[in-house]
Amino acid sequence: MADLSKVGTEYTPIVWEVERGKIREFAKAIGDFNPIYLDREAAVKAGYKDTPAPPTFLTVPMMWCGKMPDFINDLKINFMMVLHGEEEYEYYREIYPGDVITGTPKVTRMEEKTSKSGSKMDMITLEVLYTNQLGEDVAKTRSLLVERK
Amino acid sequence: MAEERYYEDVNVGDTVIEMEKGPLQKLQLVMYAGASGDFNPLHTDDDFAKAVGMKDGVIAHGMFIMGCVGQAVTDWVPKKRLKRYGVRFAGMSKPGNTITISGVVTEKRVVDGENIVTCAVVAKDEQGDVKVSGSFDAALPGKA
Repeated sequence: MADLSKVGTEYTPIVWEVERGKIREFAKAIGDFNPIYLDREAAVKAGYKDTPAPPTFLTVPMMWCGKMPDFINDLKINFMMVLHGEEEYEYYREIYPGDVITGTPKVTRMEEKTSKSGSKMDMITLEVLYTNQLGEDVAKTRSLLVERK
Repeated sequence: MAEERYYEDVNVGDTVIEMEKGPLQKLQLVMYAGASGDFNPLHTDDDFAKAVGMKDGVIAHGMFIMGCVGQAVTDWVPKKRLKRYGVRFAGMSKPGNTITISGVVTEKRVVDGENIVTCAVVAKDEQGDVKVSGSFDAALPGKA
């Protein structure tokens, strides 16, 4: 059962260097062959500085940093009962190869809810605001985790 | 690659996205696991998936389906116009499923001088079961 007193907790920042090959690999894994993600020249022609990160790319630093299990343990969430309920991105600037992005995960909301069928769930919102090496905000991610009880 | 879209050309009620993806293959889930760093064996190991109650074996990463919808979104509107994109994960997708993605304009408004278009998006399988549903906002240039 999630420890609802942990709302407001901030974790150690995630620091991630964005590589062109990773952007290409990620787009291809989705089956997205949009040339702006695969080919620098095509991206430049379309008005980008380089191949931009696709819309859901920020899952890469979150998953590869390997910290999600630590967050789940720290929040006392039962790993076997947790579901990814929602995911949302706000975009402020493009993320390009060579960028070093930094995001501080923060638990912004924790609450218990009762479903229509009467079962109880804990809803946990984790937000990460990512900035680039120039200190500019690039994007915010918001993940809703649902722990069934 | 998405062409430029103009605010004046987009109307509430327009179906702007229609894309079919699939049938999903297990190999894609292995590729997505490696690319994204999500190595939960539920998505790549049939024996594990069956042991935790998935009778047909592995299921797709929800984020993989969100990525597919994201592909459809930036096929319609240039990536640089995308301001927000969010989904709710509604159902599990399995290898063999063919996913149909659609998007409809639900709102147009000017916010702080930006022409914002909001679209609802949904991904369904061949049975019509919803896998993810959500929306995105794009800031479109005007013709003037």
